[in-house]
Amino acid sequence: MSGPPPIEVRGLRKVFRQTTTGQAVVAIDRLDLAIAPREVVAIVGQTGCGKSTFFDLMIGLEAPSEGAIHIGDKSPYADFDHFRGRIATVFQQDRLLPWRSALDNARLPLELIGLPEQEQRERALMWLNRLGLAQFTNAYPHELSGGMRQRVAIARAFAVGPDILLADEAFGHLDEVTAAELRDTFLKLARECGSTAILITHQLEEAIGVGDRIIVFGKSAKLLADIHVAQWPKSKYGLLREVIQSTLQGNVADPRLVL
Amino acid sequence: MTEEYRESVPVLTFPRQTLVSLLVFAIVWEVLSHLAPYLGIPPFAIPSFVRIARSIATITPIDIVVTLARVIAALIVSFVLGLALAMAMYRSDSLNKYLHPMIRLLMAVPVVSWILFAVLWFPGVEFRIGFVLVVVCGPVFLVDTLDAMHGVPRELRHMMRSFRPTTLQYFFKLILPAILPTIFTSWKVNISLAIRVVTIAELVGAVTGIGHQLSVAQELFSVADVFAWTLVLVALLFLLEAVVARAEARILRWRT
Repeated sequence: MSGPPPIEVRGLRKVFRQTTTGQAVVAIDRLDLAIAPREVVAIVGQTGCGKSTFFDLMIGLEAPSEGAIHIGDKSPYADFDHFRGRIATVFQQDRLLPWRSALDNARLPLELIGLPEQEQRERALMWLNRLGLAQFTNAYPHELSGGMRQRVAIARAFAVGPDILLADEAFGHLDEVTAAELRDTFLKLARECGSTAILITHQLEEAIGVGDRIIVFGKSAKLLADIHVAQWPKSKYGLLREVIQSTLQGNVADPRLVL
Repeated sequence: MTEEYRESVPVLTFPRQTLVSLLVFAIVWEVLSHLAPYLGIPPFAIPSFVRIARSIATITPIDIVVTLARVIAALIVSFVLGLALAMAMYRSDSLNKYLHPMIRLLMAVPVVSWILFAVLWFPGVEFRIGFVLVVVCGPVFLVDTLDAMHGVPRELRHMMRSFRPTTLQYFFKLILPAILPTIFTSWKVNISLAIRVVTIAELVGAVTGIGHQLSVAQELFSVADVFAWTLVLVALLFLLEAVVARAEARILRWRT
């Protein structure tokens, strides 16, 4: 197994034109970033800072206005089909297809990559079992609670065995206990699978609890801080939280970030 | 597992009110049929149910089969054309912008005008009837399915695209299942529309079919025959609607 390729973001810029006024809005302004294989990176930033635009650019659903994202030597936008089955996503809402059972939702990406039906079924069942949904494989999304639906969404993302997992505020809408439980499960599975994981969140506890690295975005995804969590002793997580907060509020790196 | 598992329970309803209203109508009709001579109304205008039953007994099944075949064939053609065009218009915004005004225009043309156009344009009776049915029902299928395609939630489209489906996978695994409820509704609307339109279309030139038999009954001043054939039309409508409703309940069982 070769493992996931490194991710390199160079001079990434994304400009949108407002449909009503025609005014240009710079969502991401010349972002440089490198993410190593198997790293778990949390990206934090205030609402409207360009996190979700970055997410869409990483998936390849949007074209960069300037600069590039390279995953290995491929671009998720220009080489869109290459990443079928290699990039998987978990969204803020579960986004399950309401007409499909939990099992059929979990196997959706496996159908898209054209696996034989028996293998699709076995792999989807295995992931649903791992996420504690063995009893609910035939249940439709509306028959499941919010936490269970998000488990199905996580099973759907992992089922395909992706190199890169992208999660956009995936646990933010759940109650704290369920969110913490799912976060731990997600992290454990991502490490077991050896996937590179990028979690976009506005919750600092989540970022500190999950990420190997925390990347702090300011306005227009300006890179305010790139924190390697391992360098911070657990006893200083309170301080870390405080300085990330102050960085976000001041839109400039807090000097205390340098230990 | 502490989270709640919510099981839905299907609800059955019995159309008691419908039966009551039909019964009341039947009683009023029967009473009126007996009182008609005393009210100065010609007896043939409000025939009793016995007389109507006699007319029903003389109904020719071939006319029912012919009308039913025309309706079903036209609905299938209308659906296929409407869906295909809706898919093309969904894929191409410029095609949508060019065709949409034309479709709205077609939908505004009265059925009678279409029948007259058909009589003037086409020599074959079957083609005339088929043309009128397709030109009336096709745009309804098209507009309904196109609206439903545009109504597929952005979140689901975004999720689906993130998994990189091919164009066909995107359509068959997301768009088509998402618009199925609308397609069934559209079928129900179009069945009712087609039954009414086919009758009018068959009045002009057809030598078989329920519309033709209605025309004959009108020429003979036989209200009982008109009533009998109308009952057949209503029964056909209910039958077709029941078939669609059954398919809908089976295919969309995830909604219950």
